[in-house]
Amino acid sequence: MKGLLPPGLAQLLVRRTLAGLVIVFAVTSAVFFLAIGIGDPATATLGANASPEAREAFRHEHGLDRPKLDQYGSYLLGVAQGDLGRSYRDDQPVTQVILWRLPRTVLLTGLAMLLQLLFGLTLGTLAALRRNTWFDTGFMGLAFLGISVPVYVSGHVFVMVFAFRLGWFPIGGYGVSALDHVYHALLPALTMAIAGASTIARIMRSEMIDTLGNDYVRTARAKGLSASRVVLHHAARNAMLPIVTLIGLRIPFLVAGAIITETIFNWPGMGRLVIEAIRNLDVPVIMGVVVITAVSVQVGNIAADIGVAMLDPRVRLRGS
Amino acid sequence: MAGVAGLVILAVASAVVAATLPDAPDGPRYMGAGNETPQRGGTLVVWHETGLRGTDPHTRFDALSNQAIKLLFEGLLDYERDTLELVPRLAESLPDVSEDGRTFRFRLRRGLRFADSVVFEGGRGREIVADDIRWSLEHMLDPATGSPGVTFYELIDGYEEFRAGDASHVRGIRVVDRYTVDITLSRPDQTFLFAMAMPFAYPVPREAYAHYGADVNRNPVGTGAYVLERWEPGIGLTFTRNPNYFLADEGQPYPERVVFELNLDRGTATMRFRNGEVDHLHRMPLADYLELRSQPAWEPYSVQAVDTIIRGVGMNVELPPFDDVHVRRAVAYCINRPRWLRSRAGRMALTGQPIPSTLPGYDPDLPGAHVYDLDRAREEMRLAGHPDGLDEPVTFWTGEGDTGRFYGELVQSDLAAIGIEVEIRQVAFPMFLQQTGTRGTVQSWFAGWSMDYPDASNFLDILFHSRSRRPTDSMNKSFYASPEVDRLLDEARVERDRERRLALYHQASEQIVADAPWAFIFSDVAYELWQPYVRNYRPHPVWSNFYRDVWLDLPRERVARGPFAIDALPAFARPFAPRLGRGRR
Repeated sequence: MKGLLPPGLAQLLVRRTLAGLVIVFAVTSAVFFLAIGIGDPATATLGANASPEAREAFRHEHGLDRPKLDQYGSYLLGVAQGDLGRSYRDDQPVTQVILWRLPRTVLLTGLAMLLQLLFGLTLGTLAALRRNTWFDTGFMGLAFLGISVPVYVSGHVFVMVFAFRLGWFPIGGYGVSALDHVYHALLPALTMAIAGASTIARIMRSEMIDTLGNDYVRTARAKGLSASRVVLHHAARNAMLPIVTLIGLRIPFLVAGAIITETIFNWPGMGRLVIEAIRNLDVPVIMGVVVITAVSVQVGNIAADIGVAMLDPRVRLRGS
Repeated sequence: MAGVAGLVILAVASAVVAATLPDAPDGPRYMGAGNETPQRGGTLVVWHETGLRGTDPHTRFDALSNQAIKLLFEGLLDYERDTLELVPRLAESLPDVSEDGRTFRFRLRRGLRFADSVVFEGGRGREIVADDIRWSLEHMLDPATGSPGVTFYELIDGYEEFRAGDASHVRGIRVVDRYTVDITLSRPDQTFLFAMAMPFAYPVPREAYAHYGADVNRNPVGTGAYVLERWEPGIGLTFTRNPNYFLADEGQPYPERVVFELNLDRGTATMRFRNGEVDHLHRMPLADYLELRSQPAWEPYSVQAVDTIIRGVGMNVELPPFDDVHVRRAVAYCINRPRWLRSRAGRMALTGQPIPSTLPGYDPDLPGAHVYDLDRAREEMRLAGHPDGLDEPVTFWTGEGDTGRFYGELVQSDLAAIGIEVEIRQVAFPMFLQQTGTRGTVQSWFAGWSMDYPDASNFLDILFHSRSRRPTDSMNKSFYASPEVDRLLDEARVERDRERRLALYHQASEQIVADAPWAFIFSDVAYELWQPYVRNYRPHPVWSNFYRDVWLDLPRERVARGPFAIDALPAFARPFAPRLGRGRR
């Protein structure tokens, strides 16, 4: 390992992992006691007409008649062994329930990420190259609009216009085949991508303008390289550094970042799963999503730190 | 300058696009092919607001599970959709009843088979015989099964011993021959046959429980019109035709598949319905209700019907101020029912008594039935010793959401007219149910009850019999107890003469409205729509959304739309849209 990793990285890893575990533990504990205090899962699951005997049987089956600390201890023990419990509503292991939903969210957020990179980088670059023209001002104005309009507004407008009125897209849902899944994901992904693309376009534009003024770009031009080569191979690569960092930090968002969009579009991913679980007081599922999200946030942060440290030697590691 | 020009161009372009948008449809987007006789084939797509908990008829008991179970299983008996009379299904006829009214003899149809499944040798569903009825009932009653329905069958002779583990079989369930089974009760009970039509009593194959264990809940092996093809929890289910169905020779069921889309919210589902993406609409936001009701094109494909449900203001008779019958009556008479009706745009049927108008036992002229009568309400407050109202506010509990708050505010303003200040306590629905069922906790609440089976006893016994009171999880949430009402209900339960039985329920209802543990206000009115190509759908009073008898009039024809709509574009411009138009069907 020595020589491969920058100095101090091992300590940093250990320190960040320990801190991450403490944070995951704290979040898990807080949510656990909040979730079991909301109400009675037996009533939420079995409904108003369930007999008292049925509710008692349910509580006993799921250990809800035991002291809360005792329940929490068992839960932690389970988590440590990779067992996230069993969903009250779906009557399935929580890991299975999450595994059903996770790929769907990743498809949606992944597509959204692709779209925002595609639009953001292209428009940002073009705006920088056509600085102070109608194109630049018009699209940067639109980018402001994109950042300002919340997803719960743009999502509903998109559904109303492009799906309900024009019929170009289905109104929510997931579809039945691979192509159909992508088709169903387009409109929600576009909704999510707008704000991200606007941010990326603005950053890209200003970075590009800075970079294009650098000596090495001028040199490249003086050497007679074509305009597209100068822009794509020399300027864009450096201008994109802050965007790479931005994308790195948004990795956890791939897992659980689409609660509102998934709700508007009835997309059966992790975001809607957590809403359904809260509505049904399905505590094991709520906890499962919280644990997975907390862990992925920690992993994402550590990965971003390490990535930046490894890519840019100027970044000093505090552990060294 | 250039920027302003850019923005102006964009604004103008947006306005042009907006102006040329096709209108929202003012009627169905698809019409049927025009067949008049039932056609086989096609996929019926319906939706639900929640996820599905399971399909084991012995342990699942909620509205959505029942809808799936009704496609996958059949019982000996069922309720006829229009009359609510019991009719035979897997049974050859209605059971013979012995002289003393305690023994019911059921005869099975010959040649019935379970659906094909890996649980059977060779994968072929085996014949259903009388012993399956016995095994299924005993399995459901076994404490290890944890069925929520056991209390419906507590009068079967030998129930107690079997439940206590003192007997290996239930004495009152006896197999007479291969196709005949006798069930004997410890005393006569007129509600027992209703219980035999509930999914708890449906026959299931023991092989499935042996093979799947607890996972039988997700792997149904039934006797119904469909079998489960695919289940993605929380997302959807696909049912496909069961070739072993006992009516398969008659071509039933008609659609090849039924798809349940799960966890859709009402607003989205309504748009999808109007777009022809789902085939049935049973819940919708108020604004959509008003719009769809105003469109004549939908009228032939819709129905508005009173639900068998009762709602009102529940009052805890053990807690002041509602321990005083005069205060309770004052509340019952101060509710401005006509205003409630107006405020919900007519989506309720007003009432003033505990038995819904859809059930036998309801009396439109019941003496003392609650009505809006402010003078009488004020007089009752005077009799209670509070002519100027109460000094202390009372707490009124409702469930979450706009509807709960809306009803809370109506109650608040109605009770203000007799000097009762109401504090609304709005909580999550599970907590609402839990707290209202806990003795000594909730003063008043937005009360409601929907039926398990179509009989007055299912309302009066559960809500107002003193036996239904418990310290926690109480079904009698008013903690109301009247020896007279108890006596009348107990008598009605065993009375075999229909008229005499209904008379007993009349008397009980009269006493209950006089004691006013609830202020009875309304029954819900359901408004449902279906696509023009969906035929023979009508809501079932017991099973609600009941799809078993539906057929699809295909191919469906799309009604044209505006210039930029998908169907107006040339074919090359619409490479996608596999679910729009022809694709799905």
